[in-house]
Amino acid sequence: MEKYQLNTNKIESFITHLKNKGKVFAPHKSGKNSFKFNEVENPDSVVLDYNRTLNSIKKYFLPPREVLLSFSKKEYSFEKSTIEVEKKIFLGVHNYDVKGVLRLDYNFSQGNPEDNYLKRRADSIFIGVSYEPDEYHFSQSVGIPLHDTEGFDIYLEKNDSGYTISAITENGQSIVDGFDGFSEEQAAPSNHVQFKNRLKYNYNRLPEVFEHSWNASVWEEVSKRCVGCGTCNLVCPTCYCFDVEDNMDLSLLQGTRERNWDGCMLNSFAAVAGGENFRETLAERQRHRVYRKFKYITDITGEPWCIGCGRCTAYCTAGISIVEIVNDLCDEYEAKYLNRPVEQSGLNAARL
Amino acid sequence: MSIAIQNFEAQELYYPEIAEISAVKRFTAKEKWFEITLPGGRSLGHQPGQFVQVSLFGAGEAPISVTSSPTKKGAFELCVREVGMLTNVLHSLETGSKIGIRGPFGRGFDVESFKGKDILIIGGGIGIVPLRSLINYVIDNRKDFGRLIIAYGAKSPDELLYPEELVQWENSKEIEYHVTVDQGTPEWKGNTGVITTLIPPLDLDLENTIAAVVGPPIMYKFVLMSLKTKRVPDENIYMSLERRMKCGVGKCGHCQINHSYVCQEGPVYHYPEIKNLQEAI
Repeated sequence: MEKYQLNTNKIESFITHLKNKGKVFAPHKSGKNSFKFNEVENPDSVVLDYNRTLNSIKKYFLPPREVLLSFSKKEYSFEKSTIEVEKKIFLGVHNYDVKGVLRLDYNFSQGNPEDNYLKRRADSIFIGVSYEPDEYHFSQSVGIPLHDTEGFDIYLEKNDSGYTISAITENGQSIVDGFDGFSEEQAAPSNHVQFKNRLKYNYNRLPEVFEHSWNASVWEEVSKRCVGCGTCNLVCPTCYCFDVEDNMDLSLLQGTRERNWDGCMLNSFAAVAGGENFRETLAERQRHRVYRKFKYITDITGEPWCIGCGRCTAYCTAGISIVEIVNDLCDEYEAKYLNRPVEQSGLNAARL
Repeated sequence: MSIAIQNFEAQELYYPEIAEISAVKRFTAKEKWFEITLPGGRSLGHQPGQFVQVSLFGAGEAPISVTSSPTKKGAFELCVREVGMLTNVLHSLETGSKIGIRGPFGRGFDVESFKGKDILIIGGGIGIVPLRSLINYVIDNRKDFGRLIIAYGAKSPDELLYPEELVQWENSKEIEYHVTVDQGTPEWKGNTGVITTLIPPLDLDLENTIAAVVGPPIMYKFVLMSLKTKRVPDENIYMSLERRMKCGVGKCGHCQINHSYVCQEGPVYHYPEIKNLQEAI
């Protein structure tokens, strides 16, 4: 694997170089403290040093709203939506977010491989960037250590004078090859940072906990604070559930069928016509959300569907932490099944 | 885990086929029967117990069980309770109206494995709708199966569906038909009581009887208790589960119970598969 030195003063010209290869999407500042992936217009507005974007790059493959078809009620006919395959370069992606994309790849390629997703996903280049974990990141606990580069074509690791660039795939190498702004001198990597937040058990020990957590007291406890807004679903890089609805235009003669992101925390999610709701309580819905991240699909693939980005916690309107939920499950499991005392402190920080 | 996504043959999953309503009949105040003709009069090619996504432009889509048997070639049939937005619009449609269809979807009854067995049908309310597909399949392949026992329960006599066929079932020497209503009327001469009251008197060859159970969610627990008391082995019980479904193809997530997508592995389940599955029953 070839390594190159990209000094800080050459970053903009590197981004310009990328823009000649395809559409480039990268993090930008959005508001005071938050960041957002946007298509790059000005290379100088790209922010490579950021904690997390509000939404992951999932939005490019599974858009929040997507027209599935346009119909005419009068003719009773429809037109298919067209999705153009285009080269997309995602710059400045954190490694947990590219893992999120790999998880979605599984959901949309298994069983019935879905045209809409796979077309949008095709021809994508991922250029990762190292990051400094904040109080919410816990990717290490779900098997994604810092500098894990699976899924990336190119990886940028921060150092004192810019970034060390590694070309990981052939696609990545061919992008790097045409750029002449690299520096001769390799700089030393920055000080190694560590995760401040983590799960009590590593992800590979969680199946035994979840095996025993269906009736845990945590679900009821958490539901007392949860307001069921579904923010955790919307910001999750591996939540892919969607609703489908028809929208008529003002003529009432034609309209579109759209799919929109949905969330299992919302009251209507498992409700059917006639009044039955198969997950009526917030406790049931929280349990479903967390089991989906750590057990249901994990039992099949061996990997957790939580990628440790911390978004559901950082953006929760009620201050609920998925790390605290899982750690409380671990405690309850230990106390009930391993006969070990529960640690006195309920604070997550005390467990570190 | 990294998947080479370019290796998958992507499918267009969400485009309906435009079919036509070729006949409509009202059964009750809430339920209507529809015959649907696909382009060219082609058969749907379904299994008893499977469903289609009915697609009405402007109203959306909803999963609806097919009520006709695959042995009936050409047009297929639906029987629909007017209960939500889509079914409201569907009820307003007349013969000749266009209607979108996707499917058939899901797993139906494994009729091949039922061959040679006695078939016990237990249907509550509109649960009889998908079961009628199985009933007619057995009737049309009568020599392949043993006894056909039907236990049907409705809230009241005026909620019983398929009025003409019920008379035929009643009069047929090849069908053992039992019916009950929760609440009778002065004219009602039959059984009154919930559906589980029909089960104890049945004389069953336990090892050789397949029970196919479909009804409202509340019904399953009690029917399963009755079958247990009767000593029907769990392995001989099949049931169909209702869930919210938006896509029908295992993508939208709404119908998920634990690891199982009802639109893929269901709606018909072999009881041992879901006996210990939380949230299933």
